[in-house]
Amino acid sequence: MSPLAFALRGLVRQPGRAILGIAGIAATGALLFDMLMLSQGLVVSMEQLLASVGFDIRVTATQATPLTGPPIVGMADTVATLAALPAIEEVVPLRLGEAQVDIGGRSREVTFMGADAAVRRPWTLLEGRDIDQRQDTGQPRLLVNQNLARRLELAPGATVTLRGACTANSSVPPTVFRVDGIAEFPFDQASQLTAIATLRDFARACGDAPADGADQADLLMIASRPGDGPTAAVEAIRSVRPDLAAVTNEELVARFQQVEFSYFRQISFVLATITMFFGLLLITVLLSVSTNQRLGEIAALRALGFSRRRMASDVLWRSALLVGAGGAVALPLGLALATWLDALLQTMPGIPANLRFFVFAPRALIVYVALLAVTITVAAIYPMRTVARLPISSTLRTEVIG
Amino acid sequence: MRPATGVGAFPIVEAREITRVFPMPAGPVTAVHGVSLRINPAEYVAIWGPSGCGKSTLLHILGCVDIPSSGSLLFENRDVGALPDADRSDMRLRKIGFVFQRFFLLPMLTAWENVELPQAEARIARDERRSRTAELLAYVGLAHRAHHRPSQLSGGEMQRVAIARALANRPVLLLADEPTGELDRATGEQIAELFDRVQRDGTAVVIVTHDQAIASRAGRTLVMRDGRIEREGTAG
Repeated sequence: MSPLAFALRGLVRQPGRAILGIAGIAATGALLFDMLMLSQGLVVSMEQLLASVGFDIRVTATQATPLTGPPIVGMADTVATLAALPAIEEVVPLRLGEAQVDIGGRSREVTFMGADAAVRRPWTLLEGRDIDQRQDTGQPRLLVNQNLARRLELAPGATVTLRGACTANSSVPPTVFRVDGIAEFPFDQASQLTAIATLRDFARACGDAPADGADQADLLMIASRPGDGPTAAVEAIRSVRPDLAAVTNEELVARFQQVEFSYFRQISFVLATITMFFGLLLITVLLSVSTNQRLGEIAALRALGFSRRRMASDVLWRSALLVGAGGAVALPLGLALATWLDALLQTMPGIPANLRFFVFAPRALIVYVALLAVTITVAAIYPMRTVARLPISSTLRTEVIG
Repeated sequence: MRPATGVGAFPIVEAREITRVFPMPAGPVTAVHGVSLRINPAEYVAIWGPSGCGKSTLLHILGCVDIPSSGSLLFENRDVGALPDADRSDMRLRKIGFVFQRFFLLPMLTAWENVELPQAEARIARDERRSRTAELLAYVGLAHRAHHRPSQLSGGEMQRVAIARALANRPVLLLADEPTGELDRATGEQIAELFDRVQRDGTAVVIVTHDQAIASRAGRTLVMRDGRIEREGTAG
């Protein structure tokens, strides 16, 4: 009988205790796995989200977040200058503001954006047709997100009145927009209402005079040329416009990782450590109790010629079986728990709905397996020591007297 | 002290002036005091004496599970005290069989598996294990109970399985510590007959007992008192 089979039979002998151990590890393991997914989840998710948009560089007037700092003035010249750089494939200027959309007596405050996109678009058209700054049909056109379409029962072809609130104290007459389509915006929050128009229509709705407001952008989204890559493109931007703040997706993620996401990393580290500690304690206690109940049997096996190493390895195998089985059950449990927690956290204000807190990554699984291996070993140390140091003769005597 | 000797010139075990002292809170207790003896091949020795006289301690030393505080023990001419624990374990596995008063069968294994276990530990090939296990269970009269667990066996049957387990790796020495202590007289008699048979088949047997009837079956009886061999007698 192999040591593994022997340990398995030993565990099955006390099914209640074995199930308790496996259930305990399944619960703590699920939490541990979730914490490992959380520790890198936001970073991985942010990387995926930024990459999914199709732009790998963002340019603002200063290091400040868009809307909290000044806009880029002289937008047309800037776009032309940057688009002419060999390392850059496309530049999409964006304006950000707020607006009130009215239809049939119903009204909603929305995030209002303006963008001139040629090839790539920082949104995905779901229904209807896209807006295009090259087509001036006279009537301003608009894309709305699904939330807004649902709230105001909008479909492509609908007409709405939009009152822009793009600058402080702005007071402009309402503009009538035709809804051309429904789109998904990757950085929308769960309940965010969003509408987007071309820059020309955005300026019209915001009442921007060409001399001041129309030729500005809050953000330039840039796609580097595949052969050159974002780093070379950013260097090129900095060389021609050192006054602008250009960051690659990689730099942006690193910045988030150092500041905003570090709290989650710390929380996940603390919770993972506590969780692992509890799992370790549970298995140590179960193995120790089981070992102490079998001292006579162990002494007899030692007397029959079973070596110290063999008996200690039996304890280690029992630990491996309990932790291994519990750890395997923990994976689907952890994934289910992560899905539920993600759904809860995504409703938090200020969090893009497409951002995931718990992301499965091979690294998380590797670390999880490594931590389980540590748990198996550390939990078995004390009972293994008890077995290895067991005095055979006096234990047999005690068992007979007892 | 003159060694208690058997007839053979080459003993399996030879104890030379062995003493075993246990440190206790109330002061050291000497369980075995200056004992010398030899166990020869195929010899049947009973160690008899009242409870607490050091019989089991002596048996454990002879079986290499304990080491004397002083004196020396030679097993097949090897100084047991000089051997590392792993070598002593291997010696017990391959050369010595143990039978305990409380059987100590593994409850989660069947009779067959209990007998097969020491053979697997000794890395005996599977086919050989199977034939040896079948042979041993038939030898102790339990072939029909091979797939029963200890909880499904009577006390006498459990002790028979324990004897089969002890013989699994063809030991040269079988040690039994009060093997009939948990059994009624009739069943104890059957177990004693089984030990007689084991000895007749060529294995040296040392039985520790406080039952004079069991001790009288041995070819040689060592009477112990207060950790010493008080006298030695022979059957008949």
